[in-house]
Amino acid sequence: MSEIFTIALLFSTIRFATPLIFAALGGMFSERSGVINIALEGLMLAGAFTAAVITFETGNPFLGLLCGMIAGAVLALVYAVACIKFEADQVVAGFGINILMLGLPALLSGAMYDSAGSTEQIAKADLLPEFFGINIASFLAFLLVPVCWYVLYKTPFGLRLRATGENPAAADAAGVSVNKLRYTAVVLSGVLAAAGGAYLSIGQSSLFTRGMTAGRGFIALAALILAKWRPVQVLLACLFFGFTEALTIPLANIKTASGENVPVQFIQIIPYVLTIIVLAGFIGLSRAPKALGIPYRKEK
Amino acid sequence: MKIKNLYFLLVASLIVFGVSSCGTKTEAKKDCQMKVGIVFDIGGKNDRSFNAAAWEGVRRAERDLPICLYDVEPGNPTSIEPAMRAFAEKNFDLIIGIGFAQGPIMQKVADDYPEIKFAIVDGVIFEKDGKTPKQNVASLVFREHEGSYLVGMIAAQKSKTGVLGFVGGMDIPLIHRFKTGYEEGAKSVNPNATVIANYVGVTDSAWNNPGKGKELALSQINQGADVIFTAAGNSGLGAFDAVERFGKNAEGEANKFVIGVDSNQNGVKPGFVLTSMVKRVDNAVYDVVKEVLGGNFKGGFHVFGLDKDGVAYMMDENNRNLISPEILQRVEEARGKIVAGEITVTDAMAK
Repeated sequence: MSEIFTIALLFSTIRFATPLIFAALGGMFSERSGVINIALEGLMLAGAFTAAVITFETGNPFLGLLCGMIAGAVLALVYAVACIKFEADQVVAGFGINILMLGLPALLSGAMYDSAGSTEQIAKADLLPEFFGINIASFLAFLLVPVCWYVLYKTPFGLRLRATGENPAAADAAGVSVNKLRYTAVVLSGVLAAAGGAYLSIGQSSLFTRGMTAGRGFIALAALILAKWRPVQVLLACLFFGFTEALTIPLANIKTASGENVPVQFIQIIPYVLTIIVLAGFIGLSRAPKALGIPYRKEK
Repeated sequence: MKIKNLYFLLVASLIVFGVSSCGTKTEAKKDCQMKVGIVFDIGGKNDRSFNAAAWEGVRRAERDLPICLYDVEPGNPTSIEPAMRAFAEKNFDLIIGIGFAQGPIMQKVADDYPEIKFAIVDGVIFEKDGKTPKQNVASLVFREHEGSYLVGMIAAQKSKTGVLGFVGGMDIPLIHRFKTGYEEGAKSVNPNATVIANYVGVTDSAWNNPGKGKELALSQINQGADVIFTAAGNSGLGAFDAVERFGKNAEGEANKFVIGVDSNQNGVKPGFVLTSMVKRVDNAVYDVVKEVLGGNFKGGFHVFGLDKDGVAYMMDENNRNLISPEILQRVEEARGKIVAGEITVTDAMAK
């Protein structure tokens, strides 16, 4: 066992968890305000693509990260307009965003670099820097947790946000502009999810490849539900999912009694099976924000 | 949020997306004696590896020969068939499919369009009886295990720890072929060498997950591996990032090495790439185009091994100093023996 549980596994867990933390915290703001955010995957891809392009073109990863976050904000705004102004079905609109972001980066990168599958590779010196072997984005992700906790529980904005997600009519009666708040929350979720995506393309890797999030947006969503929409628990849930993902790597080299490798398919389903088990069995009563998924129409 | 802020976001986004729209280029083409359509694998034509090799081959054909070239990079496996059929409907002279995943699709499409010539890389297409090679399809297959054997020899001689890594893309027999060849080659020079093998995934997204590729490589390095062979498309590029993290020693030589695949990847991270196991997909597709143009197209299986330089290890200015003449001599001897049939490398797909 000692050859599996190493310090490297810890580092690996942190690297896997980082994009999840960003995305899940983003999703938390959106969902706490009452807007389902199944578009996290697409928002991450927007951030990953924009960050990779801007970093490659300018050589400045921080500018890349910033532009990635802006792209995430813009895309989230589109989503917000659909869901809030036009009261579209939030799950359908979210999937629309995800599918759009499978195609749009490919189209753009095809036009820019004559390659739909991936962007140009960024030199190591131009990637987000590492300190003590940990990417700066990972520090940022961990730092965001107490910040989000503070914003959510200790500021008027957080109070209004939570009220909006639970009982928008009451919040409205108390003078909160429900839809304005929801716009802000969804855009904020785009910014954070995109930062997670940017970490993938300019922190962990050095290029954007099509669909490179590979379902991380949905894992983040699962983490959010597992954490019952609370920031500190979001961190723990993301670390848990990061850990299961990291664990698959050393496990793949474990031999069975007969000296054969365990089929890789069995190893690779571990994170998903654990997700199902945990979500179905262990979290107990998970209560979503009451107004989640319900558009708010102000009484005239 | 204030309206002003929204405007700012909109303008910023227009800049972000606007920058990207000026890169489109179209090439007006001279006389067009033949129309060639190529459908890439999920990795896309600029994966610097497998697809890039095919892209290089058809581009060369486009430059040298009076052909018109059209290409499609499918976004997901379901868009491969429509793309292939669209080419066929427009009466293209040659349709090239890249990658094993297109085999079952080309099987159907080639049946429906017997007048059109097809070529597939890494797949074999039969007539309806399931035995005779299909006459309007050139099945281009490579003996990857032979080339992998040679890079395995280089890796084992270069390795200080005797532990080697292998990062495969999708866990499929074709990729096992790289791994078993690599392992056999390594053990031929160092019987105690161990190969740690990991695969990125079991779906086609395994070719497009460089983050996971990097994690696998880092984990292998952590277990002592100092040379890592990748066969994972875009995901393999993550392994390149991983070895670069370990920098170079006092003599200016990299501490950990990676071995590239399919295309010549020696220049992707110069100094960190020990060599590349190239698969001359470029030559193979170029020759098919030329044959169709010249009217001497031959359907059936075309096998490219070490003998025809269909697979090879790549030496260039980027890795000349990394591999000593003694190592090369030994590898060249083995190459001769494989070609002569004195050494038989296990083919994982033949099992």
